[in-house]
Amino acid sequence: MSWIREGELTIVERFCANIIKAGPMPKHVAFIMDGNRRYAQKCHVERQQGHSQGFDKLAQTLRWCLNLGIQEVTVYAFSIENFKRSKEEVDGLMDLARQKFSRLLEEQENLKKHGVCIRVLGDLPLLPVDIQELIAQAVLATRNYNKCFLNVCFAYTSRHEISNAVREMAWGVEQGLLEPSDVSESLLDKCLYTNNSPDPDLLIRTSGEVRLSDFLLWQTSHSCLVFQSVLWPEYSFWNLCEAILRFQMNYGALQKARDSYMEERRRQQMERDQDYVTRKLQQEGCVSHGDSRRRRTLLQKCTAMREERIQGFLQALEHKRADFFERLCTVSA
Amino acid sequence: RQRWRADGRALRKLPVHVGLVVTEEEPSYADMASLVVWCMAVGISYVSVYDHNGIFKRNNSRLMDEILKQQQELIGLDCSKYTVEFANQDKTGQVLNCQSTLKVLSPEDGKADIVKAAQNFCQLVAQQQRTHTDLDVNVLDNLLSSTNGFPDPDLVLKFGPVDSTLGFLPWHIRLTEIISLPSHLNISYEEFLSALHHYAACEQRWGK
Repeated sequence: MSWIREGELTIVERFCANIIKAGPMPKHVAFIMDGNRRYAQKCHVERQQGHSQGFDKLAQTLRWCLNLGIQEVTVYAFSIENFKRSKEEVDGLMDLARQKFSRLLEEQENLKKHGVCIRVLGDLPLLPVDIQELIAQAVLATRNYNKCFLNVCFAYTSRHEISNAVREMAWGVEQGLLEPSDVSESLLDKCLYTNNSPDPDLLIRTSGEVRLSDFLLWQTSHSCLVFQSVLWPEYSFWNLCEAILRFQMNYGALQKARDSYMEERRRQQMERDQDYVTRKLQQEGCVSHGDSRRRRTLLQKCTAMREERIQGFLQALEHKRADFFERLCTVSA
Repeated sequence: RQRWRADGRALRKLPVHVGLVVTEEEPSYADMASLVVWCMAVGISYVSVYDHNGIFKRNNSRLMDEILKQQQELIGLDCSKYTVEFANQDKTGQVLNCQSTLKVLSPEDGKADIVKAAQNFCQLVAQQQRTHTDLDVNVLDNLLSSTNGFPDPDLVLKFGPVDSTLGFLPWHIRLTEIISLPSHLNISYEEFLSALHHYAACEQRWGK
């Protein structure tokens, strides 16, 4: 299958893999696949060749991840900022996308066999319509597979994603599905394009650059960040192992930081809820803060009602998104 | 004293806003104060200090005292030229020749600030003063308050063994260079300057 290289690990690789797997393993790895153009320059080939090799390397890396038991991978394939590149290069990348997504659709049996769920995340209306249609078909065809997950960020930036999530919550308020006070960090999480995935445990950027370039800024706030100098088309199994080892070295500290962050978040939400209940009790003319039973009941009621609103809103959002893809498919049918 | 400014000018590019991010559990006020003072001495206009436990923020005044003390010691006679404005303090009376501004940040200035902005916008929508389509990247950017008046950080100096930003201004660091140093404890000016040189060598392509 062109998107995932066939093949097992070599004996040496398998030996290494077994050692690494004795420690904690990331469940979700994100890649900024940087360095295609510098690689092309280095090898004196066309940029387009560099990007094509980059895709091959993606296929190989996905294979390694599966071999290592890493079930979810997210990659930064095309940034909204990349539209600023020359028309020639952008067209070339779009053609590569057309080619690869078409190929994907031809390999549906393989996708089913490996249970690969493909998701494409980004501001898809910015793309040529025919590519949107190919994407929609790939996403809908694989949406129920759950052995492994590949998220391709295409026409994506993190700021657009976050703004979109806030816009969706505002839409929810407009539709009468949500109260402004329902807006929270956890609700925003559920409105991102990545809402069906856990946060990446590990983010790897190749080619030596040490910045995030507007990729998964919200989701990687507590992820292990590994910057490697190797150019993407030259990425090796050993580079991947090295990154996973760094993840393992950071594991304890990051768990601790994440846990304390979540604890603080829960505490603040509890505080907000208590304040809300206090105000409500005051409105009802209940003077005493001592009526703890009344307080508890009110708190439970408010929380339950909020949960109900949120579920209703999330369902509506899910429908809106499914609708978008389905409409694209019927157009092309 | 002259050498600070010369060191700054010798760099091919100087960051406008540096984030000093400590990932070590026990922050050192003296060492952080040195870093802040060096930043302003070298000509960096905006400095933010961050630790994920919010220790510096809770002990803001202790840090300020340490900074003022270091300023005296390190800059000495030229003190008046290198005064720091403390952005979180309600210090009345702008200091003349104010060269640098400092902010002390914690996780609540990150995601929580984005959520607050989202809540405020949704409140306006509920009152029918805005529609959801009004919200785009620029609008949201303008609604954030944690770094009012500060440009996005060009550089983060990350201290300690943890390979993560631990919640430091997620929205603002989209293009920030992240340079890691083993520790802020007993950090030397040479190590600091060397990190700035490393930053000056980074090539930004802005997606092109």
